[in-house]
Parts: sequence; C-alpha cells; structure tokens
Amino acid sequence: MKVKLRFKLNGISRTDEIEPNQTLCDYLHDAAGTTSVKKGCDTGECGACTVLLDDMPVTSCLVLAPQVDGREVVTTEGLGTQSAPHPIQREFVEKDAVQCGYCIPGMIVTMSWIFDHVPKASDDEIKRLMSGNLCRCTGYLQQIEALKSARKNGKA
Amino acid sequence: MKSFQYLAPIPPFEYVAPRTLSELFEALDGNGKELQVLAGGTDLMIALKERIAAPKIVVDLGRLRKELGGIAVRSGVLRLGALATFSQIESSPFVARYANALLQAAANVGTLQIRSIATLGGNLATASPAADSAPPLIALGATVTLLSGSGQRSMPVQGVFAGPKRNGLRPGEIVSSVEIPANEEVRSAWTRSAVRKENVLSTVSVAVASTIQGGRFGPSRVALGAVAPTPILAERASDAMTGTEATTDRAEMVAALAAEDARPISDIRASAHYRKRLVRVLTKRLILQIIRESMAP
Repeated sequence: MKVKLRFKLNGISRTDEIEPNQTLCDYLHDAAGTTSVKKGCDTGECGACTVLLDDMPVTSCLVLAPQVDGREVVTTEGLGTQSAPHPIQREFVEKDAVQCGYCIPGMIVTMSWIFDHVPKASDDEIKRLMSGNLCRCTGYLQQIEALKSARKNGKA
Repeated sequence: MKSFQYLAPIPPFEYVAPRTLSELFEALDGNGKELQVLAGGTDLMIALKERIAAPKIVVDLGRLRKELGGIAVRSGVLRLGALATFSQIESSPFVARYANALLQAAANVGTLQIRSIATLGGNLATASPAADSAPPLIALGATVTLLSGSGQRSMPVQGVFAGPKRNGLRPGEIVSSVEIPANEEVRSAWTRSAVRKENVLSTVSVAVASTIQGGRFGPSRVALGAVAPTPILAERASDAMTGTEATTDRAEMVAALAAEDARPISDIRASAHYRKRLVRVLTKRLILQIIRESMAP
C-alpha cells in the first residue's frame, strides 16, 4: 500500500506517493533524480550513499524512504553548484581528491558536514569521522588535504 | 553465511507511522510477530534485506521523537529517551558528566552515518550480545522503562536481553526510555577490543563504574559484552571490587574474576580462550584508569 511522502530535497519541497518497501538510497537515485546518491554495499558499510538527513550524515541505504517524511534531505547536488561550489567540492577538484569517483558524492557530503560542524577536528578526529566512507583508489590523504585547504581558503 | 538479495526488492509490507502515543499503541495492539517496530532502522534495514525479518506491518516510531527522544536530567536521574541517537549521546554534556562509559561506547558505535540515526532503544531491543550500549548501562546501574497500551514497567538493563538477538519485551511493548542515577561521584569507563578500529562489532567490550573515596572503592560494577549470550554483570568481579582498597593488586584480582565470570564462545571474531584473556586485560586497564583519574587534581 502506497504512502504519502512530503519532504524537502535540496531545499525544495517534494511530494510523492511511494511504496514503503524501498530504501531512501534507491528512491533518491531512481525516482527523485538525485543520481549522485550511489549504491555501493547496500549494507551501511561503504558510505557511497551518504546524504544529510536533518543536517546529519546518514547512509541512505539504511533509511526506509518513508522515514524522511516531514524532514530535510540534502545530497551533493544540494551542497553547491558548478559556479558556486561548496568549499569542499571546490577543494576536491583543486586537490585531485578523486580517482574513479564512485565514493565521491558520499565522501563530499561527509567532509562538508565535518567542515561545517567540526571546524577544529584534529587529524585523528577527521579520520574517525570519515571512517564510514570507503575509497579504494586514493588512500584518503587527498580528501583530508582537501578538507584542510577548504578550511584555509574558506568560502571564497 | 546469508547472501544479500541486492537486486530483489524488500518484500512489501504495510507502513504505519503513528503521530501520537495512543495511535502507536493502537498500531501495536494484537499484531505480534507480523509486526516490526522501526526506530533508527540500522539493524532492521539489514534484517529486511537479509530476509531475517519479513514483517507484514512496520511501525515507525520516527514521528514520536518528542515523546520518545531527548536527553535530560531531573530529580537526580539522567533520562535518555529510546530515540536518542548515538550522536546525541556522544555530544551530550549530561552524558559526559554522569555516564562517561556510555559516552565512550556511543562514540564507537558503527560510523558517523550509523550514529546519526541508530538509537539507544533500538540497540537494546535488537538485543545483540555485542550491543555496545549495554555494558556501560549495566555498570552504571541503569533501568529501562517499557511502555505499552496497558501501562509501563521498569527493569534492569539485563532484563531486556533474553538471549542472542532475543529481547524480553512483551507483544505490544516498546522501550521508551533509559534511566541512569545522576551521581557526579561515579567514575565510569568503557573500552573494547575489535578486529579494526571503526565500524566493527566488538570482540569483547567492558565497562566499569565505581566511586573512589579515601582510597577505597564504593559500590562497583563490572559489565561485559560479547562474552555470553547476553551482556552481563560480572557479579564476582563486582563484589570483589566493592568496598575494597583501590590498588593495582585489587585491580588484577577483580580482572581475573571478571574473566571467570565471562562465558564466551569461539566464533569468527575470536576464540573463547582469547576472549577471556581480553576480559582480564581490558578490565584491569579500566580499573587502573579509574584509580588514576580519581587521583588527578
């Protein structure tokens, strides 16, 4: 039986009627057009599907789509645009913090949250907070560098 | 090993999201095993995908965050709503003041993304022997309040754990809150051993809570996770600590008894023998830490 879903996606109110037996990850990617949301492990381990739910990073594969009714979801698309990127998006480009790219939308969501909410996180704390985003290409150093230069260069 | 059915959708169910407690109890009434309660969802979503759970009805507590959430101190009691997330627990000044062991455990649950939605009540109701919130709560002498349409009852944390992944809740009952005595003199600490640092089930977890005055331990509790079918109070260890001199020798003796209190099994994470060794090492480490902290100016 379908259920009503009303929530804010990247700042815009969205109303839908959906089957409840789907993950937020599948809904965002397949139905809502936010294709930055990647399904990796589908078990909450890899972080590729990370989005902000009420301004907290969550793995959207572990959220049932109807759970976000009345709440606010932000994906990488909602963090910035090509002409006005979030500082983390800008510095990921500057620092070549990307190889294959699959983990990057989720990684950017997490790193932007750390940038916005834990501006003084130490290296160890950054590593702890980003441990839910697996990247099999880069070795993580470039992403940490990107966060640091985003701090240094600010919102520019 | 269970295989994930990645491409097959989760089987259909009816989704109910009550907006008041009375709507909740109506939804919970008489549906028994056909029904699953959804709190944060980090355990249930996996169970749905693995077909461990195949409910006809899913009752989402998510619209009841006001009624079932929050962290507050009142009349000497630290009360954590069942829907308090591990992120909220990790960053609560009340938890930092009165329940350090719980804060440490909360900060090590899963990942940032898991802690953002996983709830204390869900962690207890899932009833995993390795539930990281349980040893701190047992050590701190917490009680759990259960709520149903016919009223509420309280029990020690251990009462919620009936067996591995089996909770002691009656049909129609939910975990509504957890209460911890708010005593600033109680020092508590938690630690664990695991095969990696983050996003991992504990191989062994230990929590210790005690007061130290005039070089002696007051009422003390040692609690253990992942070394028995449920998290347990290490009774002999706790008794051997309470009211004794706070010394290294005593820490060693208590730790040895904690290892005897443990009843671990061998599994993919560790052998039973190794788990007992870990209990001994980690318990001693925590007791010495508490003694050290009590001597700091």
